[in-house]
Amino acid sequence: MKRFISLMLVLLLGLLAACSSDSDEVKGKGKGKTKIEYWHVNAETLGGKTVEELVKRFNEQSDTVEVVAKFNPDMYKGLMQNLQAEAASGKAPALVQVGWSFKEYFNENFAHTSPQDIIDKHFPDDKTFFKDNFLPNVLELAQTKDGKQIGIPYSLSSPVLYINRDLLKQAGLDENGPKTWEELKTFAKTIKDKTGKYGFYMQEPADNWATQALLESNGARMLTDGKATFASKEGIAAYELYADMITKDKSALHIGWDQGIQSFIDGNVAMAYTTIAQRSNIQDNSKFNVAAVNSPVFEGKPVRLPAGGSMLAITAKEEDQQKAAWEFMKYLYSVESVAEWTKGTGYVPPREGVADAEEGLKQYLAENEMMKAATSQMDGVVPWVSFPGKQGLQAEQLMLDVRDQILNGSVSVEEGLKKTEEEINKLLK
Amino acid sequence: MNRETIKFYLLLLPSLAIFLLFVFWPFAYSVYLSFFDWNMISPEKKFVGLQNYIDIIKDPISYKVLVNTFIYIGVLLLMNCIIPYIFAFVIDVVLKRFKNFYKTALFLPAVISLVVGSILFTWLLNPVSGPVAIILGWFDVSMPMWTKTDGWVIVILCLITSWKVFGYNFIVLYAAINGVDRELIEAARLDRVPARKIFMKIILPLSSATGIYVLIITVVQGLQYMFTPIKIITQGGPNYASSNAIYHAFHEAFVLYRTGHSAALSILTMLIFFVLLLLEFKFVEKGVYYEN
Repeated sequence: MKRFISLMLVLLLGLLAACSSDSDEVKGKGKGKTKIEYWHVNAETLGGKTVEELVKRFNEQSDTVEVVAKFNPDMYKGLMQNLQAEAASGKAPALVQVGWSFKEYFNENFAHTSPQDIIDKHFPDDKTFFKDNFLPNVLELAQTKDGKQIGIPYSLSSPVLYINRDLLKQAGLDENGPKTWEELKTFAKTIKDKTGKYGFYMQEPADNWATQALLESNGARMLTDGKATFASKEGIAAYELYADMITKDKSALHIGWDQGIQSFIDGNVAMAYTTIAQRSNIQDNSKFNVAAVNSPVFEGKPVRLPAGGSMLAITAKEEDQQKAAWEFMKYLYSVESVAEWTKGTGYVPPREGVADAEEGLKQYLAENEMMKAATSQMDGVVPWVSFPGKQGLQAEQLMLDVRDQILNGSVSVEEGLKKTEEEINKLLK
Repeated sequence: MNRETIKFYLLLLPSLAIFLLFVFWPFAYSVYLSFFDWNMISPEKKFVGLQNYIDIIKDPISYKVLVNTFIYIGVLLLMNCIIPYIFAFVIDVVLKRFKNFYKTALFLPAVISLVVGSILFTWLLNPVSGPVAIILGWFDVSMPMWTKTDGWVIVILCLITSWKVFGYNFIVLYAAINGVDRELIEAARLDRVPARKIFMKIILPLSSATGIYVLIITVVQGLQYMFTPIKIITQGGPNYASSNAIYHAFHEAFVLYRTGHSAALSILTMLIFFVLLLLEFKFVEKGVYYEN
């Protein structure tokens, strides 16, 4: 009983603490400064310290705006849920992070204002801020399917190829790694034959991010006019190239994400295809000569690399809040802040002019060679396709199911992809 | 109702309140949700009647998950009920020395978090570069890619869970066996009854009250414990080969946001467990010996 009472006390204290921290964040004007809330998902280990640092610096230099950063647990989904609850009570924070997979949902369900509208109305000097500083394909990431700019990309990642130079050398291969997927396949086979180690591993988390990069780089499209179209000739060919490495050549590894990356770090796999966000993990832990290179291409075709991460959107309702939100947003997109953000999180800078600027990442990139693999392929970045509508997540899941079936060899690529495409289109109807 | 009984009911009240709040209310709410189409974020819920239940019955994945659930139960019973029973017997009755060492060593993992255990075993059992694979490699044995192989994946995940559950079940059974009258065992020994027979004819019947508790706990709690390693290591894959009824309900609700579907699945799972418990009461309970 004693233990129970103390447990209840602890719970009670926890509740009290939660309440009091809420009441601290009173919105509105206090002491002449406009107070706004910035909602983010960055826990301590995911760049949370950088968020706090940036907010602190902004508040110190601003006479008009005071930002309160609010952490939302459980990533972008958790933030969406909290935003829902907030909206139900008639309130809204000023600035929020929206994960790419929630882009359409956010647009349809929450009141928001395009940053460009606020600029046009109140900040004529910044009129061309986005056009001047962002690649058009990067800006496009934060547009809805009908071309409306609802936010600005903030956290960006893209897939790169990590290579074990020592193993490549041992197998007598070019230690700068393969440039094309076709080359990658022969590299993997040679490594398997010459060294007995695995040649290749492609990340297998519970999403289709890497799959999209592979298929679309060969000219297939996951989605055309709201219909799944990945089982095209190109899509099947690309998937076959990868699946053959696993089922026929046995030169690629088919295993969970953690174990796959771990096997690369241990030196048992020569090449790993995964997100740039894994860089510090791989760089810090591998004992061999490791490098990261651009995502491979298909002979003669442009790469199409889905972006991971999130955008910033303005949900403030009142005018002074909206103005304050843009002031803070502009600060976050300054070269110095973006550089800080990249260092703290491992994301790729969303804007231009950061990589080679002295006050930006020039020195950092010189020290962290591997980061260049991602910053130099930004022109190939495309939106991460999420299947539309209410059944979108189920469609996503079907893609994952067929991945397991294909890579286990229980169904052929052509049959598996065609059947899945059919099922998904039935769902999306 | 006299004063005395009112007092007893009042004493029951706190635990009853907690039960109502954390068990019965969520259960009732699940039943309610199972008739709706809802994504957990949207403010509206759409009433769909029995459609969620019909979907589940029509879905082939449901049956795969159900079969997996029974495989899990079978493996868990073997690993976490039968084997600890035998271990407890051997350590208490057969062994003469190092009893305390074994007791501590076997119980120790029970205090470590399953999340930590899962991450640890993902590394230890990495089929390419983990220490186990390296040792097996010396004997030219290669490990199966268990995270991606049907069958193996369930066995290994059960093994990881049993690392945690085994110790607790073992200690409970050990206490029960320890409570069996020593004179009976000594008498049997004098008559040169083999250990196997002592276990079957004396220990098992006399400790059966605890045995039945461990049996039920193994099935009911074991499946819930399984959730952690599944979530961390395989997320139910490959192609649902490691999913069970409980994990699948989570998957539907918190990955696909099909809350109604998930609630319906939970209710059906509960019904299945209810039937299992009925069977247990009807056939097993009769043979159980209660001292008092």
